[in-house]
Amino acid sequence: MSIENTWHVAEDDLRAYARGELAAPLLWSADAHLTSCARCRGVLAGVSDVAALDAGWERLDAELDAPRPGWFEGLLVRLGVADHTARLLAATPVLRRSWLGAVVSVLVTTFVIAVSSRAAHSPTLFLAFTPLLPLAGVALSYGPGLDPTYEMAVVSPTHGFRLLMIRTVAVLAAGLGLNGLATLALPDYGLRALAWLLPALALTASGLALTPRLGPVLAPSAVGGAWVAVLLAANAAQPGADATLAPFTAAGQGVSGAVAALGAGLLFLFRDRFDVFPRGAA
Amino acid sequence: MTPTVSASGLSLHYGATRALDDVSLRLTPGVTGLLGPNGAGKTTLLRVLATAVPADRGAFTVLGHDPGSARGRQEVRRRLGYLPQTPGFHPDFTAFEFVDYVAILKELTDRGARHREVRRVLEEVDLGDVRGRRIKKLSGGMRQRVALAAALVGDPGFLVLDEPTVGLDPEQRMRFRELIARAGEGRTVLLSTHQTEDVAMLCHRVLVMASGAVRFDGTPAELTARAAGRVWSSTQRDPGAKAGWRTGTGTFRNVGEPPAGAELLEPTLQDGYLLTLDGAGATEVAA
Repeated sequence: MSIENTWHVAEDDLRAYARGELAAPLLWSADAHLTSCARCRGVLAGVSDVAALDAGWERLDAELDAPRPGWFEGLLVRLGVADHTARLLAATPVLRRSWLGAVVSVLVTTFVIAVSSRAAHSPTLFLAFTPLLPLAGVALSYGPGLDPTYEMAVVSPTHGFRLLMIRTVAVLAAGLGLNGLATLALPDYGLRALAWLLPALALTASGLALTPRLGPVLAPSAVGGAWVAVLLAANAAQPGADATLAPFTAAGQGVSGAVAALGAGLLFLFRDRFDVFPRGAA
Repeated sequence: MTPTVSASGLSLHYGATRALDDVSLRLTPGVTGLLGPNGAGKTTLLRVLATAVPADRGAFTVLGHDPGSARGRQEVRRRLGYLPQTPGFHPDFTAFEFVDYVAILKELTDRGARHREVRRVLEEVDLGDVRGRRIKKLSGGMRQRVALAAALVGDPGFLVLDEPTVGLDPEQRMRFRELIARAGEGRTVLLSTHQTEDVAMLCHRVLVMASGAVRFDGTPAELTARAAGRVWSSTQRDPGAKAGWRTGTGTFRNVGEPPAGAELLEPTLQDGYLLTLDGAGATEVAA
C-alpha cells in the first residue's frame, strides 16, 4: 500500500540531509518522511553523491531504530535544547512527573494555608517554605544514593561538575518557575511576595558548596535546618505580629544575596571534588 | 609488551580500615582475573583504576595517561569502559535510550554517529532485538548485558568489569563469559569475580587479593600448580587440612599439607586459590 504524501522535504533541506548537516527536529521529520515518500527519495538520490547517499541510508537505518524521545525530552528539543543535553536532563531523577507533581501539590497547599490563615495579610509562611523546594530538588538530582547511574557517570569523561550544573540549572528553572507561578497568585503582597528568590538561591548554592565536605544528604539537610533555625530566631526577635521577618527585609535580602554569591564562589572553587566519588560513599 | 595499566604502591584507607595496601600491578591485553573473598579490596582497586576514587598513595597510568591531574583523568576516562558491581539504570529508559545516555556521557554528541555506535554495541552483546524494550521489562541477565554494552561504547582500550556474573543463572553465566571473551580480544580487561570457573575459562592471568593486598600474580596454571601434591581425599573431614569440604561423591576434598599415605588428587585452580588465601576463603568458594 502506498501512502499519499501532501508534504515534501524542501530540496535545500534534502541537500543538507545528504551532507549530514540537517538538524533535529527537522532531521527527524525528514527521516520519517523519506521512509514513505518515493518522490523525495528520488530527489535525494539526485542531490547526493553515492558515498554520501550510502552514509545517509545508514544514518536513516540507525534513526529508524532509535526510539522517539519522551514528552519531556521532546519538549526540551523543541525549546532549542541540544538533543544530547535533553537526554542528560531526561535522566535527572527529580525532573520526572512525580517530583514536579509533588512540588506543585506542596506549593498549592502552602499557598492555601498562607491565604486562609490568620496571617492572611502576610506571605511569611509561603516565603519561609518556598526556598526549601529548589534546595531539595537540586539535592535530589544527583549523588550516589539518588542517581542510579551515578557510578557510571562519575567515571565518564563528562566532568561531574558540568553534569551537576546542567541538572542544577534545569531543576532551578523548574523549581523557581513553579514558585514564580505561585507568587503570581499573591498579587496583594507586591514585590514582597518575591522575597523567597534570594534565600532560595542562597540555600541551593550553600547546600551544593558544602556537599564535597558533608556529603549529598547531610549538606542540604544542614542548610535546610539552618534556614529553619534562622526563621525561628527571627520570629522570636520579631518586634510585632505584623512586622516582616528579618530574612525578608531589605537587609535580610542583602545577606541572602551575599551568601548566594559566596556559595557559588566556593562551589566553583571545589568543582573538581564533584568529579570523583564522595569520600565515604565508595 | 607495553602494559596498558601500570600501578605502583596504591594504598587507600577508609578511616581505620586499610582497603588497599601497597598494590602494584601491570595489566596487558587479554582478560586478567581478580579473585578474592568479600572485603579483599577488589571493588576498591577497580574503582581506583577506573578513576572513581583517588588513592591515598601510589600512582598508576592507563594507556600512558596519568589520572593524577584533571586532564589526565579525562584522557583515561575516554579510554575506559566500566561495569560496576551493581549497575544502576533509569528504569523508564529503553535499552537503546540507556546506552545512548551513557554514550552522551562519553562525549558522543553527534546524534547520527552516536546512534550507530549504540546499535553496534547492542548488537555486540546480542541485544539488537530488544533495544526498544524498557529496561524494567528485561531479565537480570539482559540488564547485565545492557550494562556491558554501555561499557563497550567508544571501543575502550581498558575494560573494568566488577563481578558481572553474580546473580546470573548457569546458562546466562556461560553466555556472559562468551561476551567477555569476545570483549577481551584486542583490549585489556580486568575482571573481578568470585568464580574460579570464570578465571579458568577466560583469563590469561590472575591476581588474588586478600586484606587489600595482592597475594598472587601469575597465570591460572601457576596458581593451580601451587596446589600440586597438596590436595587429597578422605572419608572424614581432615582436621590437619587448611580447608576441606564434602564433594558430590560424599568424600572430603582437603587442601593443605597431606598426611602420609593420603590419596592425592589432581589440583584445580580453586585449590590453588584456597591455599593462596591460606584457607580463608574456603567457606565462600565451597558454598
